[in-house]
Parts: sequence; structure tokens; C-alpha cells
Amino acid sequence: MRRDSYAFIYDDFLSDRKYERVLSELDARLASLDLNGRTARLAMFRNAKDLAESLVSQGVTTMVMVGNDQTLDKVMWFLPDMDVTLGYLPVAEPSRIARILGIPNGPEAADVLAARLIETVDVGRLDDRYFLSEVAMEHTLAAVDVEGRYRISPARGGSVFIRNLGSMAESGEASADCKDGLLEVIIRPEAESSGGFFKKVKQPETRIFIEKGEIVASQPVEAKVDSHVMNGMRFKLGIVPNKLKIVTGRRRQLAPISEGLPAAAKSANLPFTTGRTEKSGTGGGIGIRTSLRG
Amino acid sequence: MDNFSNSAQSSSATVIARGVKVEGEFVSQGDVVIEGEVNGRVSTSGLLTIGTEAKLKAEITADDAVVAGTIEGMVTVKKRLELKATAKIIGDLTCETATVEAGAVVHGKCSIGQGKPTKEGKAQVMPNEKPGA
Repeated sequence: MRRDSYAFIYDDFLSDRKYERVLSELDARLASLDLNGRTARLAMFRNAKDLAESLVSQGVTTMVMVGNDQTLDKVMWFLPDMDVTLGYLPVAEPSRIARILGIPNGPEAADVLAARLIETVDVGRLDDRYFLSEVAMEHTLAAVDVEGRYRISPARGGSVFIRNLGSMAESGEASADCKDGLLEVIIRPEAESSGGFFKKVKQPETRIFIEKGEIVASQPVEAKVDSHVMNGMRFKLGIVPNKLKIVTGRRRQLAPISEGLPAAAKSANLPFTTGRTEKSGTGGGIGIRTSLRG
Repeated sequence: MDNFSNSAQSSSATVIARGVKVEGEFVSQGDVVIEGEVNGRVSTSGLLTIGTEAKLKAEITADDAVVAGTIEGMVTVKKRLELKATAKIIGDLTCETATVEAGAVVHGKCSIGQGKPTKEGKAQVMPNEKPGA
């Protein structure tokens, strides 16, 4: 059995003096837990992939990203293809993905890393890039074409979300199951005016589950993918099941709380195995479920 | 207790909500609730519920159906069809049994009940529900 070999990759923004204290506390915590390894720093003109490949060739088995969700985003496009476990030490905002993974912000994150509660999760694909959390398009008329069989879209504009893990746009609570081999497509039409002063009626949302599809739009759309933005009129969507090994905390929310998790695990906040939720198929491995909100 | 109506409220149903448009062949294996717009074809092996504001220009196939909205196209229901007062169907209708509320509109041929083929080869209508029940 090979010994775990860590590499800690610090984001460039952490060189700011305001992070000195939290980094000092984090390093002390890591040392006390006997978590040590190579360290490196992301920089503007330093290719993150080359750095990661170099570390892997030196025997690193756990790549720990230190920073925020944007730091994670900088390696997500290539890391799932590497034979490494991803660790994440959030020390700054935004850290919504960290919360979904059950990782606290700050030095306490080292305890999660030390516990090595590793989950193997799906990753989404948008064209040739992986994403961990979601693709979000707001105020759009873009449609999702499901394997050429049908297209679904907001009739008069709205928001379209394609999720693999949790929700970046809302409370941070998981609403997608990142272990079910499916992407969750949520369509939320624009709120309609109820006639009162500035009062808008929240529309119910449509939710479908797909394995693959395509975002199609007649005009260029801006798609926020995890923490970066892509522009285009067509994007291929897909899911790669069981692609990424990632260290998670005991409070992780990898599946909707109301559906996949045992009640005992929820109330006690104990480690659990996420159950597969039942999804009604729509042929071709596609399932659909919708919730009414508002 | 009318399980047929209650099942339409199932929380596990697929919902095409108001303000959402589907174009193409929409096939499901569970209950489906449509409140939005559909152009193409809808097929489900469960209960299909068409809401009052739904507008479908589609060929419909379902095991059971409750219709309160507008459908332009052929409707085939294997078991039970319930037409609410606000329902409007422009197209041929085939089902095993039907419940029709006063005010429902159907423009097309209706074939209700399996019936045994007659000598002329036409289906014999054998309704087993009181209209409006």
C-alpha cells in the first residue's frame, strides 16, 4: 500500500499580507496533524497543469488546493484526468463548494484533510472542459437539446442551470446528486409581475435529469461554469461518472438532503453513503423530476 | 376517495412548469404534469396531467390522463381519461374509460371503451363510468 504523498498548491492571491495570519494558523494546524508535503504556488504566468503534472511525476498522490472556490476552478479542467486525490483547504471566500463538500473555511479545514474521508464523484463536461458544480445561464432564452429528441427552454426567458454538485446560485445546500451519473437541468422562468408595485410572482421551476445534451442559443450566451465564464451559442453537455476522488468533510452534502440520505445520518451529521435516488426515466437513460417552488 | 385525482399531485411527478416550452418527442416512464407549452409528442406510461394553462400541440399517449388545458392533436389514453371543465381537445380521442365535466370541449372523434369488434369491424362502445361522475 503506497503512502499518501501530499502537495499543497497555494493560490496566487494568498501572497497578500491580509492572509498571512490565516495561512500561519493553517500551516501550524497542518504541522500538528503531521500533514506535510511539497508546496507550490499558482502564478499568473505559471501553467497550473504543468505544475500538477510535475508534482504527480514526483509521486504526489493528493493534490491539496489552498485558496477559495476559484482556486479549485483553476485545476478542475484537467485534474480529473490525473491519478490523484483532490484536497481543498478554503481560506477565503467564495467557498460555497467547500461548504457543499463539508469543509470549513480556515485552519479547521486541515482536520478534514487529515480525516481523509474520500468520495468518488461525477464531474460534468461542458465542451472539452470538466466542471464540478454547475453551469449557470441567467436571463436567457437558451434551450437544452436532449440527445436530439427534444428541446426544453424557458418560453419567455429565464434562468437555466445545469448542475452536478449542489447549487452555486442559492443557499449552498446541495440540490443535485454528484454520484448519480446524471446532470440536473433546472429551468426557472423569469418572475411575472403580479400587478402590484414591483411585486413579482416566483415561478415554479422545471427540473430534468440528463446524461448528455447540448445548450443551444440563437444569440451568444454567457455561461458561468463553476467560477469562470464561457461565451458561445452551442455547448456540448455531458457527465463523467465516478471521475474525481475528493477529500470531503463529515458535513458534506453530495445529494439532496430530502431524497438520498438516511434520516439518521442527517440528524446525527454522521458520515453516510449517499443513496441513489429514484428518477423516472424518459428513455435513453434520462430521468426527470421537478419540484414546484414559490 | 378518488385516487385518480389525488395521484396527479404526486410530488415525484415530472413537471413541465408554466413558462417552459418543450419541442420534440418527450417520453417519460413516470407521472408527468404539464403546465407549460409542448409542441411535438408526449408519451408516458404513468399519469399525465395537463394543467389549465397548458397548451399542447402534440400527439399524446398516456396510461391515465387528467386534462384541464388545451390539446391540439390526437389523444390516446390506455386506461382512464378525466376531462375537466376547462379542457379543450381539438383532435381524435381514444380511451378505455372517461369522466367528462360539464364545459369540457372536444372537437374530434371520440372512441371510449374497448368493446368487442362488431360484424362491421367497428368497436362497440361500452362505457363503464357515468358521465360527469
